[in-house]
Amino acid sequence: MADVLNIGGQELGSRLLLGTGKFSSTQAMIEAVKASGTELVTVALRRFNRAQAEDDLYGPLAELENVRLMPNTSGAINAKEAIRAALLGRELSKSPFVKLEIHPNPHHLLPDPIETYEAAIELVKQDFLVLPYIPADPVLAKRLEDVGCAAVMPLGAAIGTGKGLSTAEMIKIIIRDSNVPVIVDAGLRAPSEAACALEMGCDAVLVNSAIAAAENPAAMGAAFKTGVEAGRAALRAGLMSTSEVAIASSPLTSFLSSDD
Amino acid sequence: MKLTVNGASHEHRGAGSADALLEELGAQKEHTALMVNGTVVPAADWAATTLKTDDAIEMLVFVGGG
Repeated sequence: MADVLNIGGQELGSRLLLGTGKFSSTQAMIEAVKASGTELVTVALRRFNRAQAEDDLYGPLAELENVRLMPNTSGAINAKEAIRAALLGRELSKSPFVKLEIHPNPHHLLPDPIETYEAAIELVKQDFLVLPYIPADPVLAKRLEDVGCAAVMPLGAAIGTGKGLSTAEMIKIIIRDSNVPVIVDAGLRAPSEAACALEMGCDAVLVNSAIAAAENPAAMGAAFKTGVEAGRAALRAGLMSTSEVAIASSPLTSFLSSDD
Repeated sequence: MKLTVNGASHEHRGAGSADALLEELGAQKEHTALMVNGTVVPAADWAATTLKTDDAIEMLVFVGGG
């Protein structure tokens, strides 16, 4: 049976989701998307500016095959703004996915759980597949699942910090209790961390800065692809249990110099 | 007709529809989402959407984001 990621009935062949921000050029972003094998990328909405027409990603992204869009609600500082952004994003993308993110404080960019919860309720009613970016809070994750979110996306560390899976213990609890996909979003820096997330049982990871800010974004996109695949394969293979004492993997008797 | 477009004052000299405004500003229609006074207006309705003086228009496009 194919190991597909199912988010609210939508099937994805890759467990790596990519953000499209911070790339040095549109070309670099497109190459990284292709190398990563991702089938779902996030985009943001900004005011039209005739003088910066090259920032408009609609055209370049529309040319990618087998890649769907997930507009985000970044910039929104409350539920009302996020709902508006989601509606605008759907109007443009014709995609059911929305990455619901509401972070009112630019210093830490941590999600507002109350506004996120309220927006999620409304967006689910309006038939979105809601993927909320949240603090790694098992109670909130469960509440968002209960109101119909298609997945939950706890942060590994603050956006753009590259501090990895600093919330791993909380994410493990979320995974244990969740009936919807758990996707680590934000904080990852290295493919090994993506592998670790998948080994823990995360269903996918969403990566942006780690790839966009790499010296070679396309090569890093490919490295994350490998990391995600390795982590998922390891989970399915079944990791050995741990032990407090050493257990030899070579025979300890009948050695050359032994007297027995 | 005086409008506010993306937060800035704009004197519209076209036919007064949402469609005409996008054309006047050089926005690619299929790349643009539109909101008039806080309400999202689907592209299919632009030609029939008549703007009024002091309307607040937001025109948005996709850019890179995580």
